[in-house]
Formats: sequence, structure tokens, C-alpha cells
Amino acid sequence: MYDKDTGMLDRLLSMFQTVQDEGHGSVVLVFIIGMVFGSIIQYTKVHKFEKIAGFSMLKDTVVPKMLFLAIGLASIGLFVLIHFGWASYHIKPIMLGGLIIGGAIFGASMAIFGKCPGTGPISVAEGRIDVMVGAIGGIFGGLVFTVFYDQFKMIMGTSLGKLTLTGYFEDSQGISVLIFGLVLIAISIAIPLVEEIDTDDIGYKE
Amino acid sequence: MIKKIPWWLGGVLMALLLMFVFSVIGADRPIGASTYVPYFAGIIFDLDPEKYTYLKEIHNAGSWEGVMLLGVFFGAFINAIFVTKTFRFTIVPSLWKKYKNDSVKSRLFWSFVGGFFLIIGARLAGGCTSGHFLSGMTQTAFSSMIFGGVVMISLVVTGKLFYNKDNKDV
Repeated sequence: MYDKDTGMLDRLLSMFQTVQDEGHGSVVLVFIIGMVFGSIIQYTKVHKFEKIAGFSMLKDTVVPKMLFLAIGLASIGLFVLIHFGWASYHIKPIMLGGLIIGGAIFGASMAIFGKCPGTGPISVAEGRIDVMVGAIGGIFGGLVFTVFYDQFKMIMGTSLGKLTLTGYFEDSQGISVLIFGLVLIAISIAIPLVEEIDTDDIGYKE
Repeated sequence: MIKKIPWWLGGVLMALLLMFVFSVIGADRPIGASTYVPYFAGIIFDLDPEKYTYLKEIHNAGSWEGVMLLGVFFGAFINAIFVTKTFRFTIVPSLWKKYKNDSVKSRLFWSFVGGFFLIIGARLAGGCTSGHFLSGMTQTAFSSMIFGGVVMISLVVTGKLFYNKDNKDV
């Protein structure tokens, strides 16, 4: 065993080194991607408990409206990028046990916690103590998953392949993506806009 | 300074960011935001990556997301202090008070439990709102559509069962 403090520091430094060596953008670029990603979420307020838990009660629809619009637009845009050779698909495999059981646990936790793993850090940075406690819970969740990975793997099941809509409609990829994207955009617009506002926010009446 | 943008502008900007990150001039990979949690857990609890296969598997993805989430955190902190002015220490969200209770103990207990299972669920499914929903469905992946459908149902059912239907202040 190495010394605990230098071990932790070494591993944090190795995190930056890994990103720099991996070729998926420099450390600075990845950091900026994070800042932009976080800012879009923060300015639309979709990280807030009122928006996520509010959606679970169907009292706030900003989260699904924004989510479906982003996916609809990006699915068409990404297809064009791939067509010109400027990007490629990175598909996650279909593992039914993991997707269904994991998805059910994830959805229930999201409703109660009112956060997801990407939005939590924003709320912590805004001083939300309950989210900080939830983040500690998350770290323990990560620990348990890592230690009992072999057992969790049995729940996840075997991969049924990395299937996509474009792969399924091989002869009409462009049309299928276009319809997929447009349907999602239409859903996003069709969902009626209702909002819950955090009454603790300064000047919330505006 | 702009403090808030509408949902449709957020959706357009998020789509542009996703396309940039996917592109070869960006990062040539999807956005993900849940692998970093077990990655940081491995560092905090000083787990040996040679001993735990999961840590070995997530080494690269965990590092990338780790740096990205440091950017998220840093940017959000700067915004909260100087732009949106939303920084303040609070424990119980206003909507929790409205539809659940005023108890600090109750909120902190459920936050911890929620955070714990949020990560277990995300890692079982192999992704979260970012990796599956945003990035996965953008690629028209069936795995992400299954995840998205299950999450939506579970979210709404839990919301119905867990919270009081009516505003208890009214």
C-alpha cells in the first residue's frame, strides 16, 4: 500500500494525464465542454428540484420539453455530421436486465432526490446542502457497485447487441432519422408548458 | 446579465453542444455524466484498480467525465456567485416543503438514499440522463430508448406515490 495522501493526489493527476493522452479533446477543451454543459442546464434551471421532482408530479414540464427538443435536433444534426465523416456513433449495448431494473431504480431515485448525476454538481455549487448529502450517498453507491460488480453483472444480463434505428432501417437511414427527429421535436412542442417555481429564489416573481 | 434562458433556447444550445462533442473537432465521443461517480469513489476510498475490474473498465471514461464535471462544478459556482446570484445555503427545497414536509431530517435521509440508488441504477443501466437520454437517443440507440421509457414511467409513478397530491399549504 502506498501513502494515502500522495496516492489520492497521484490519481487525480493521472486523471488529467489520461484525458490528455486519450485523444478525446485536450484537458482544457473537456473542462470547457463541462462549463458550457453546466451553464446551459443552470440558465434553464432544469437542475432544480422544482423542475425534476416537479416533472415526476407532472407539475413542471420544462425538463421533458427541453430534453426532447435537444434530442430531436441533435439526432438529425449528428446524422448529417456522420454522413460527411465528421463524427461517428458510439452505441451502448442492449442489456435488458440492466436497462429495465437500472432504469426503474434510476427513475424512482430521480423523482425522490430531484437530481440526476449531471445536474447534482450544479446544485452543490449553488450551496444546496441536501444535494451534497445526496452526492455522498452517490459516492457510496459507486463504491458498492465497484466492490460487488460481479454480482451486479449477473443482474445486467448479456448484450443483445448495439442496435440502432438507423441500423434497423438500413435502406432508408436518412428518412428514418428525419422522422425520428421530427417526431421528438413535435412531442417537445406538444407537451403543454407548466412550471413550478422555487419560491426561495430571489426575485422569482419577475 | 442574462440570468435565465427559455427551454427552447436551452434545447437548441444543448443540441449544438452535443453535435460539437460528437464531432471530430470536438471530443469524438458522447457526453456522459455518471461514470465519474464510481471513478471518484475509487480514488476517495483508495481502491486498487488492479484489484477491481470495474475500475479498470471505467478508467478512461471516468477520467474524461471527471474533468468534464470539474468544469461543470467550477462554471456553476462562478455563475451562481456572479451571474445568476443563486448561491445560498439551503437544505429543504421549496417544492419539497409544498408537497412533502418541512423536515430537515426527512429531506436529508431521502437525499442520501436517493443519491445512493441513483448511481446504482445508472451504473446498472450503463448510463444516465446524459449518457443514455441525451447522447444515446441522439444516436437512435434502442438501448437508450428502452432506458428512457422505463425511467419516464418509474419517475412519474414514484412522483405520484411519494409526494402528496395537493399543496398542503392551501
